[in-house]
Amino acid sequence: MSVSVTATRRTSGAATALSIVALTEIGSAAFLRQFLLAEDWRVVVGLLGFFAIVLVALQRLPTVEARIEGAFSAQGRFATLLGIAIVLLFPFLLEKSTYALHLLIIAQLYAVLALALNFQLGSANIPNFATGASYGIGAYASALLALNWDVSFWLALPAAAVVATIFGFVLGVPSMRTRDSYLALVTIAFGVVVHQLLNNLEFTGGPNGLVGIPAPELFGHSFASPLVIFGHSLPSQANFYYLSAALVGVSILFAARLHHSRIGLAWNALRADELAARCQGINATWYKVLAFVVDAFLAGFAGTIYAFYVGFISPDNFTFLVSVTIMTMVIAGGMDNTLGVIVGAFLLTMLPEKLRAFSDYRILFFGVTVIAFLMIRPQGIFPQRLRRYGG
Amino acid sequence: MSAPVILEGSGLTMRFGGLVAMAEVDFTLRKGEILGIIGPNGAGKSTLLNIITGIYVPSSGEVRLSGERLNGQPAHRIVGKGIARTFQSSRLFGDLSVLDNVIIGRHTHMKTGIFDAILRRSKAEAELAEAADIAERLLKAVSRGLYEQRHRPAAELPQADRRRLEIARALASEPKVLLLDEPSSGMDDADTDALMDDIRALCAERPELAMMIIEHDMRLVASLPHRVLVLDYGQKLAEGSYEEVRLIPRVQEAYLGRKATQNAQA
Ligand SMILES: Nc1ncnc2c1ncn2[C@@H]1O[C@H](COP(=O)(O)OP(=O)(O)O)[C@@H](O)[C@H]1O
Ligand SMILES: [Mg+2]
Repeated sequence: MSVSVTATRRTSGAATALSIVALTEIGSAAFLRQFLLAEDWRVVVGLLGFFAIVLVALQRLPTVEARIEGAFSAQGRFATLLGIAIVLLFPFLLEKSTYALHLLIIAQLYAVLALALNFQLGSANIPNFATGASYGIGAYASALLALNWDVSFWLALPAAAVVATIFGFVLGVPSMRTRDSYLALVTIAFGVVVHQLLNNLEFTGGPNGLVGIPAPELFGHSFASPLVIFGHSLPSQANFYYLSAALVGVSILFAARLHHSRIGLAWNALRADELAARCQGINATWYKVLAFVVDAFLAGFAGTIYAFYVGFISPDNFTFLVSVTIMTMVIAGGMDNTLGVIVGAFLLTMLPEKLRAFSDYRILFFGVTVIAFLMIRPQGIFPQRLRRYGG
Repeated sequence: MSAPVILEGSGLTMRFGGLVAMAEVDFTLRKGEILGIIGPNGAGKSTLLNIITGIYVPSSGEVRLSGERLNGQPAHRIVGKGIARTFQSSRLFGDLSVLDNVIIGRHTHMKTGIFDAILRRSKAEAELAEAADIAERLLKAVSRGLYEQRHRPAAELPQADRRRLEIARALASEPKVLLLDEPSSGMDDADTDALMDDIRALCAERPELAMMIIEHDMRLVASLPHRVLVLDYGQKLAEGSYEEVRLIPRVQEAYLGRKATQNAQA
């Protein structure tokens, strides 16, 4: 009797968790779709207001937030599978809007960059203002390989990541000697130097950059042509949408695995107290350099996809401002929280685009919105969480 | 005590610019021994621990662990050789859970590198799970109350538990030598009594473990250490049992002062 009662309770608990996960994911996807397709500024403001209300509610009702979180960790596999399904189906729900797809691609590339920077800024509290430069180095390295040596996208992708990683290592070396506030200056200087070099070197095309980067091909299918799936035709952007979504997936996997390992713990220890961390046997220098390397590696991938997507790149795509934007995404989204960082990247990529109706006041409105969200959730939209251990 | 010497310092001198924080200090520590270090503020007690743990590189002199010369080696390597410590003003990883703090203490016993973490997840996870297991057992042994709070952020702990956690984190590295810098600071008498019991239990459980304890609380100094070393102005004033040391007039003048003299008479 009592056995069957607990069994029923357990199944009903699982059913509740499943529906919470499904509702949250489908609801978020529906919200994103409306936001992407909204053209009237009143709808955009209304949706932002709705998002703000949801955040206020989460902030006021921590039990609700904990309940949702509990449902996701109890039904992790289902949440992942449903999430993948939504990502795969999403382009079909966008009424063939190439603009919406374009925004999604850029948002996803920024999500990768923000996740990359999060290893440093979020996990280890190392300021790095050169993520935009690593992104640029990835883009230029792959574009040069393709233009000068006809290297295919699929080979240029890992090659550019290796080049960016070497750059990240070189950038990380000063961290062996300088303290954090100086390190921030060193990374700014690196970013500026890279921008200047791209601007002035002959083989990078100077200020005009590189043009005519060929679209990738996969099994004879060119990424420049529409994607036909089961008789449905999607705009050519869909190719890059799926490509960048896959990269976001890989980055999430990286983030999760590193966070839940000795390495993530060591970064967190450095963030909290470097001296105490060293006295637990953590080689501070090595772990800082490692954070730079991982950051540059992922940024290099994002740069390659960007270069092959837009087909032409110039130094102005990779300025200091890009690095600052990525940093804002991490801070506003939530340091050391994968979901938060991705939401931050999506929000900050789409917001300026969606606020075009405000023309001259666009940047002002953008700033006000970000500050408003930070006032509602001072630790970022989804703040850092304590680790859980099974059992 | 005739157990073999595990840690020794000879001629240790530390200069900061013109300031001589430590001058020609020698010490020895045997297996299973507790050495108390006392002296007024600024005497160089913490400096001595910082030299031993590789945070400072001494201007001259050397530190040897089981005969191996340690100075010049970076702090993170010295932990791996078997010296763990706590800090005078507790330095926990405040925004991490109590359990994470102890797991990080096991850093030197884990091996996961970047490629393992990303490409061989089950191996990395198994290692972390094992560390979590050991950390939980250690917490339980150090203090039941601390174990119950293992999923709270360390910053939220009350002062006495923060001290306990720091000791647990240091023990997680399975040290041969444990260095405690003023473990009772900020504690009331009841907490200090509990701390002394904890340390006694610790010694009973690990008879080989050698300890150096910097302390101001004379009740603790009188009862725990086998030997006491007195520092003043960076120099060694005296060394011996508490009973001997407290009777030396220079020590009373330099450090014990009025309050401690009262204690001694009580
Ligand atoms: N990093 C440092 N730089 C300069 N002076 C220091 C440093 N560390 C300690 N000192 C000085 O060394 C002396 C001894 O300090 P310390 O070892 O902390 O004393 P205590 O016995 O109270 O622990 C003090 O005069 C202190 O100011
Ligand atoms: Mg001190």
